[in-house]
Amino acid sequence: MTAVRHLDITGLTCPMTWVKTKLALEALAPGETLEVDCRPGEALENVPRSAREAGHAVSLRGTTIRIVRA
Amino acid sequence: MSSSRRGFFRDLAAAVGSGAREAADAVREGTEPPPSPLTDAEIERYSRQLVLPEWGMAAQVALREAQVLVVGAGGLGAPVALYLAGAGVGRIGLLDDEAVETSNLHRQPLHYTPDVGVPKVESAAAKLRHLNPDVEVAPYQVRLEPHNADALLEGQDLVVDCSDSFTTRYTINRACCDARVPLVEAGVLGMAGMVMSIRPGRTACYRCAFPAAPQDAPRCADAGVLGPAAGVIGSLQALEAMKLITGVAPAVTDGFLQVDLAGPEFVRVHSSRRPDCHDCGEL
Repeated sequence: MTAVRHLDITGLTCPMTWVKTKLALEALAPGETLEVDCRPGEALENVPRSAREAGHAVSLRGTTIRIVRA
Repeated sequence: MSSSRRGFFRDLAAAVGSGAREAADAVREGTEPPPSPLTDAEIERYSRQLVLPEWGMAAQVALREAQVLVVGAGGLGAPVALYLAGAGVGRIGLLDDEAVETSNLHRQPLHYTPDVGVPKVESAAAKLRHLNPDVEVAPYQVRLEPHNADALLEGQDLVVDCSDSFTTRYTINRACCDARVPLVEAGVLGMAGMVMSIRPGRTACYRCAFPAAPQDAPRCADAGVLGPAAGVIGSLQALEAMKLITGVAPAVTDGFLQVDLAGPEFVRVHSSRRPDCHDCGEL
């Protein structure tokens, strides 16, 4: 089983929140998972939406966004 | 230590030094994503293109690894060089044998009034280095001619022709065909222009589309051109260059984009390779 990758974007603001997440996802193989620690607010709304629009599977647990790379 | 960890400490030091809020993307030990080929500073600088769905790490690295020769540092060359440097093309060669004149300034945004009399390539290189210090700019104060074309094209991944004479265009087209170096051609006059991308041996070359120069073609020095028109055509040329380098979108090949900004009207004119083409027929 592949390790789940973690990324902390709590110190970033838009658009760097999605830029960092997008680049981290690009580095994964399809089916691998990225867990993103996020601050409540704009990023927690926008990053999951951007990830879904890019075709990835997204789920939320509190302020952690779990993204399975498409 | 991985490059992302180095980035973490660099961000942290910068944040502490400036008193700014700490903005590092700390990743948990042992589970961080693989090291990024781009530095944190590069990701910050290019974030508004990296965020595009079409763009990404691979495209950005392709730009950084590219060596592009821009022939002409005038009305077309200025926007081309500005956008390519801004976008992060790693090495830009700038070629022009002229000095800045007052009459250039309305359409050549790399040159300012105090630059009048300064070689265009020096004036342009100074601005480009300020714009993006990560870009290596090589100024060549020469005119591209048949006797030096091969040497100037050596090692180039792409040529962007921003010259203002048909003679130079045909010389560059021939040299790029011989060396099989991709080329972006363009021309502008008044409020109109054209842009064409060429993959020698695979798509129509400039001579395939225009077998001979018009007999009475005016040069920019003899005819008028509006600054924004040069800006539009040069911007299209820069975009074509970025498409050819990265492959993120189809370039305007096997024909050209004819732009009439008075209309305004953009028309795609199709062309195809000529088996008897003097420049690319034998490729």
